[in-house]
Amino acid sequence: MTERPADELRDAAEHAGTGPAAEGPADPETGSGAVPGGNGGEALESRGSRGDEDGGDLRAEGTLRPRRSYLAGVVLRTFGRAGAVVGLAWLGVIAVFAVFGPWLASSHPYLWKVRTEDGSAAVSSPLVEHLGPADVTLLVLTLLVLPGLLVWRRASLGRRLGVLLLAAVVVGVSAWWFVQPPATVVYDRYRAAERAGQVEWVLRPPIPFSPSDRQRDRPEAKNLAPSSTHWMGTTVDGEDLASRMIHASRIALAVGFIATGIAVVIGVLLGGLMGYFSGWIDLLGMRLLEIFEAIPQLYLLLTIVAFIQRGPYMLYLMMVIIGLTSWTGYARFTRAEFLRLRRLDYITAARASGLPLGSILLRHMLPNGIAPVLVSASFGVASAILLEAFLSFLGLGLVDEPSWGQMLSQAVGAGGGFVWWIALYPGLAIFLTVFSYNLIGESLRDAIDPYTQKKAG
Amino acid sequence: MHQPLLQIEDLSVSFPGAGGRRTQAVDGVNLSVYPGQTVAVVGESGSGKSVSAMSILQLIPTPPGRYDRGRIQWRGGQADGKAAAQTGPGGGDAGRDGGGGAVDLLGRSEAEMRAVRGNQIAMIFQEPMTSLNPVYTIGMQIMEAVRLHRPVRRAEAEAIATAALRDVGIADPSSRMKEYPHQLSGGMRQRVMIAMALACQPELLLADEPTTALDVTIQAQILELLRQLQREKGMAMLLITHDLGVVAENADVVAVMFAGRVVELANVRELFQQPMHPYTRGLLKSMPVLGRRVDRLDTVMDGATIPEDFPAGYRVLPHDPTLPPPTRYGGPDAALHEISPQHWVLCTAENDPARATATPPRLAYLRDPASAASTS
Repeated sequence: MTERPADELRDAAEHAGTGPAAEGPADPETGSGAVPGGNGGEALESRGSRGDEDGGDLRAEGTLRPRRSYLAGVVLRTFGRAGAVVGLAWLGVIAVFAVFGPWLASSHPYLWKVRTEDGSAAVSSPLVEHLGPADVTLLVLTLLVLPGLLVWRRASLGRRLGVLLLAAVVVGVSAWWFVQPPATVVYDRYRAAERAGQVEWVLRPPIPFSPSDRQRDRPEAKNLAPSSTHWMGTTVDGEDLASRMIHASRIALAVGFIATGIAVVIGVLLGGLMGYFSGWIDLLGMRLLEIFEAIPQLYLLLTIVAFIQRGPYMLYLMMVIIGLTSWTGYARFTRAEFLRLRRLDYITAARASGLPLGSILLRHMLPNGIAPVLVSASFGVASAILLEAFLSFLGLGLVDEPSWGQMLSQAVGAGGGFVWWIALYPGLAIFLTVFSYNLIGESLRDAIDPYTQKKAG
Repeated sequence: MHQPLLQIEDLSVSFPGAGGRRTQAVDGVNLSVYPGQTVAVVGESGSGKSVSAMSILQLIPTPPGRYDRGRIQWRGGQADGKAAAQTGPGGGDAGRDGGGGAVDLLGRSEAEMRAVRGNQIAMIFQEPMTSLNPVYTIGMQIMEAVRLHRPVRRAEAEAIATAALRDVGIADPSSRMKEYPHQLSGGMRQRVMIAMALACQPELLLADEPTTALDVTIQAQILELLRQLQREKGMAMLLITHDLGVVAENADVVAVMFAGRVVELANVRELFQQPMHPYTRGLLKSMPVLGRRVDRLDTVMDGATIPEDFPAGYRVLPHDPTLPPPTRYGGPDAALHEISPQHWVLCTAENDPARATATPPRLAYLRDPASAASTS
């Protein structure tokens, strides 16, 4: 059992460095100490003053190929696979939609010059005026914080993630306080002003419709098939489907990530403590875990949703419930990994060097045991998105906010007929997103599995 | 200087065994280490060598394992300034129970142990392949240990780590710092482990079979390195091994362990020239001699090697027909007796009526420079 990780790593090292290793000495082990300074790697070694003959059995690629950690290797192997690249590409598109949604699809013009009643003309940006706290937060994080963290190379991945999380909280809370878009929004007024000839010039987003713009001034816009004006058609209420699709991607991503994030944090914490301490903590933890596993997630969600009045907090409630009921798998994985890791020499060595418990658990054990959790989390994101779509489809989820599942439920419209475009686009989006997460999960699983690696190599 | 640095008294550690009984992994071990001294603990697998060493740092996982009896005095009699300053009033309490200000390591809390681990007592392990964390560079791992125990900045820690790597004979240490453990060979990794252990300049190094996993040429280099570093830094070492060749070359004092007990304790010359206990004799006899042709190699003993399998009341059952019946050497009433000056053997009192009272071993043999030079 203790030899397994060493084997894995050796595999990883050999696998990753096949090129240079093949050109090195035939067998690095037999060459040890016999001919110091025989090749490039050993020549580098023998510069030392004394006792470095054993440097000869250092693998030749060690000095030649770029230095890379185990996790970095896993990430590289994962995204070296076509499936993961395709999945990541689609998620990238969804992420762009999620962050820049208001800029891509909105009834508010970017800029316009409009004459007021008294005849004076003024340039204003209704879109910026109508940005909500969430829009501003995402924008600041994506355009300012994220590039900064990518440039800040000296910090470790964990520290950078921590700073990102902190920045998200700070920016989010301050945006909540300071960004106050107008409470009542009249989408029709831009089109009305244009018809009245008050607008001198206007710069509109590519899709000039907000997701909840019901186009009351255009009664003929209800239930339209895709056309050049409405790229994906309109709903029964006259809302532009393309706009709703783009704005719904934010909810899909948020539900997937936040629900799975809650589940992973709970699961890793409990599983890690259970695995490290074992004994009665493990016993109690496992019983708690079994109790939670016995709760049928869907029916719990249905029951709670049925009791609670609809509102904008519905989304967060769903995230929390999905998170609170799906942590058991992650806890099992983490517990198993920690049970294995705590017997490993480097954990004993870490304790022997006097490291505090938190450091051992978080810095030394977690990075080594997180890989199976990540695999399972990427499938978990997919299932959380499906669950939200399912609830919204049943009409138990969001009401005003656009969501793919809620759109799907409108495919069989009030008119009774089947509206193909409303079925096709949200269905396709759900399918592609879930598929992408599964592709990434599969690649990640293959990348950390030494057996598939051997086959591939 | 004639105070032992570390003194293990009557240490007993047990683990749950088959059928609800507890297996005594370590059963009443007495051992002392003086400053600058190398004490070798030899014995076969399962004799309690590693458990004794791990107990010193309280590294035995205590839900399965249990410290039944005993005390481990650290720096007996001396003020424990470093630890007391860090642990506050708790350190004072721990200091009182030993009497005369000595500190019992077993009585310390986890927080108090952390001040000792790595800082005053460091440990290196058998498997260099698995003793380093695969996800961090070796530089990060050494610096983490340094910054934990010393109030230094990042740059200073980096300098200390680089110096430590250079000390253990690693060429181009500043570029090695950025490498991951899988990029290093076994010998290099063990050097890194030693560098990590010595970076905080401990007073005692626990070396748990440091060369077992390495091939023979590297073994010799690592041992030579340890000897040299020990001389330079004036550090004491508890060397755990099952290799008698390593013992003969490196140790000042040898403790032979079997079935959780120290069966014989003497300085290295005395032990190799006049082994007293049947187990020690068997051990020495079982070493194959180069050039001598034999059909079968000698074994230490037949049969029982697992403590649970011993007949009731017997601890040692050596197989040596020339010796008197085993009852005289084993049994629950056997204790360490000073058979000849500075030479303790585990036996019952009837063996030597003149010394009916067992004497706790206090062996203050210090390596004299001449012999140290000749062995290396």
